[in-house]
Amino acid sequence: MRGTTAHIVRTLLLSLITLFGVSVLIFLMLRVLPGDPARVLAGLDASAEQVERIRAELGLDRPLVSQYWSFLTGLLQGDLGTSARTSRPVALEIAARMPATLTLAAVSTLIGAVAGIAAGVVAAVRRGTVVDHLISSVAVMGISMPVYWLGLLLILLFAVTLGWLPAAGADEPTSIVLPAATLGAFSTALVSRMTRASMLEVLGQDYIRTAQAKGAPPRTVIVKHGLRNAFIPVLTVISLQFGALLGGAVLTETVFGWPGIGRLLVDSINARDFPVVQGLVLVYALLFVLLNVFVDVLYVVVDPRIRY
Amino acid sequence: MKRPSTRGRIAAALVAAGLLLGACSFEEDPAAGPGGGGDSSFSIAIGIDLDTLDPAGQTTTTVQNVVDYVVETLVEERDGEVVGVLAESYEVSPDGRTIDLTLRQGVTFHDGTPFNADAVVFNLQRITDPNLRVPLGAPFEVMESVEATGEHSVRIVLSQPSPIFMKALTLTTAGMISPASVEAEGNTYDNYQHPVGTGPYTFTSYTAGQSLTVTKYPQYWGEQPFYETVEFRIVPEAATRESLLLAGQVDMIILPPVADLRALQDNPDVNVILGESDRSIYIALDTLDPLLSDVRVRQALNYAVDKQAIVDNVLFGAGKVMDAPMSSALFGYCSTGSYPYDPDRARQLLAEAGAEGATLELITPSGRYVQDQQATEAIAGYLREVGLNVTVGTSDWGAYLGRVNAPHSEDTVDMHLLGWAPAILDADQQMQMFRSATHPPTGLGTAFYTNPRVEELLAQADTEVNEEVRGQLYCDASRIIWEEAPWIFLWTQSFPVVHSVDVTGISTTPTEKFDALYARPAAS
Repeated sequence: MRGTTAHIVRTLLLSLITLFGVSVLIFLMLRVLPGDPARVLAGLDASAEQVERIRAELGLDRPLVSQYWSFLTGLLQGDLGTSARTSRPVALEIAARMPATLTLAAVSTLIGAVAGIAAGVVAAVRRGTVVDHLISSVAVMGISMPVYWLGLLLILLFAVTLGWLPAAGADEPTSIVLPAATLGAFSTALVSRMTRASMLEVLGQDYIRTAQAKGAPPRTVIVKHGLRNAFIPVLTVISLQFGALLGGAVLTETVFGWPGIGRLLVDSINARDFPVVQGLVLVYALLFVLLNVFVDVLYVVVDPRIRY
Repeated sequence: MKRPSTRGRIAAALVAAGLLLGACSFEEDPAAGPGGGGDSSFSIAIGIDLDTLDPAGQTTTTVQNVVDYVVETLVEERDGEVVGVLAESYEVSPDGRTIDLTLRQGVTFHDGTPFNADAVVFNLQRITDPNLRVPLGAPFEVMESVEATGEHSVRIVLSQPSPIFMKALTLTTAGMISPASVEAEGNTYDNYQHPVGTGPYTFTSYTAGQSLTVTKYPQYWGEQPFYETVEFRIVPEAATRESLLLAGQVDMIILPPVADLRALQDNPDVNVILGESDRSIYIALDTLDPLLSDVRVRQALNYAVDKQAIVDNVLFGAGKVMDAPMSSALFGYCSTGSYPYDPDRARQLLAEAGAEGATLELITPSGRYVQDQQATEAIAGYLREVGLNVTVGTSDWGAYLGRVNAPHSEDTVDMHLLGWAPAILDADQQMQMFRSATHPPTGLGTAFYTNPRVEELLAQADTEVNEEVRGQLYCDASRIIWEEAPWIFLWTQSFPVVHSVDVTGISTTPTEKFDALYARPAAS
């Protein structure tokens, strides 16, 4: 375990460099993007003086190095700055939307993990049968279907036709069902394919034959000897999928009016709201780093042979 | 280290997932029933998140619409006339420079602060404060002084006569907020998030990215609205707004998917209002370009496009072909002319100008105006029909604005699509686009159009206090502009609002706002 702890500490220290790099990159990328934030904010009919005034107010008239220095020193004091578009603190803008994103990411990943692993195991065990083909076809559909389209179809069926669920928003407990199902469908498809492939590989191993030969019940062979050993790649896919969702599922959030950070990011890029975009990207990078560390630990738990 | 069995853990995970899913899918949803009716709550699905609630800081009609529930203005425009709201009456001096306002008495802000002359002075000074960001503040810059002449009377002095000044006071920008409120409820003078006005509703809550709620103000001085609360739900996707309405989960939506307009019009459960808007959609031509500086080429482009066919088939009827360089909703409009679809005439004009087969670049925003990109593709198709070689491009709004608002020396594009909706229903703001003073980067004269006679007429109209004369000046200028075609004149866009047939009392204004303040259940 000591090796693991040292590994975590090392990873976290290295990630500081990553985060610094991310901060520089996003800062520069925003500034080479065409489109003047002051002009966008001022609007179509603003006079040149108004635009100039806003530019000064946002500090965009200062040299790049000086702008970055303020950004960095603010950051080190835990201050992400103020949104150019709304004048609200960036940290507040992000905090207001983060819970929605986290909830949606967690629930849809859970759906994807549970349903995906179950489907994948069944498909692997029943390899070559109708069940396998059925699961594989549905999985291909799930991966190929745009979430946007699936989302609208689900709204039409469950909100408009059946009237069972809210079509949009996040103000009721049932509001999460449709967006989570939409995202979960994609995750389920992905996870089931990975589980099937990984299981097939493991089920062909000698130790599975040995287990069967010594008379272990099939369920034990599949779950304990099979799934457990097939789990590492599956875990990787699940965690990557969860990581991707942490950045906010822009399309799903848009279709379902879900108040997450994906929409905030798009709105902020469109408005050239530099402080919010910078803040969001950094928070996202940080979350991703933490998630990676967490998954590293999970690997050790799932497969004690893994040592760092 | 002892580990729990794998099976035990998987089982636990399954149970947990089952519980969560169960909790999600079997719970009854009490609010999903048909909205409106007697439940005293009215909900409206809007398309954008609210970036500010400061009347002085807002830039979009949707935000104005929301703020208008809470904050009132001194005057409003009704059937072309400026009439009193918080000001009972007003008087403009013969030279047009002095305005005396008599305020309504017995009005209090939601926080208990009395509405009086001091409050008016505070607000008018605030929107002309150079240290405050007031994006729509230009029409107020003519204010030289504003002072209280009594407890309920205010005098405004202008640096020069401004015929549109009273109309400017109808803008949400000039809304009256409680002077005390800029230092309460977490507000500051320049970061105003919790509006406190005198309106029929008080601001209750805002959930970022999700919704905003207002509640009836019992001490409202005017007619009480019907609904106890109004909820604005932020739903960026048009198809989802439509679904919310069809599922009965909201009472009213703005901007449904235009492709569904006809189906909605045929649906007996909803009413479609295709509100007339003063937003003109046009393609600005770079009149300084060697090719496009030839008026025959610009006229040819106007003849080449079948605008009515595009309105019918691409906009699904949500527009009206222009017959003047401005919408008919504006003061100063007169029907000026027409460029009927005539490809032969277009080819002939192009031939005369020696512009056959010329290559032109056309750019458009995407999703900013009704069917903007689709319409542009159709227009490019028509221009290719008459032998021009047209390329179409698009970019996001920020980059787009940067391109069309650049000085002419910097890579000006040949043709670009824009939409413009004057906040004041007056030719004044529309005509700015044809003046050399507003050539980019200063303003929105993105066609770089200049005509000495037009300059003269418009300069005269700027300070003309006789409304009849002023209207005629705009009409005369319009005729010259129409003839010279600095734009491909397209259409004025409609503002579609759809509501449940269970509610009534909803209308729209030409400034792309809805008026649902006094919505109520339809008599059944």
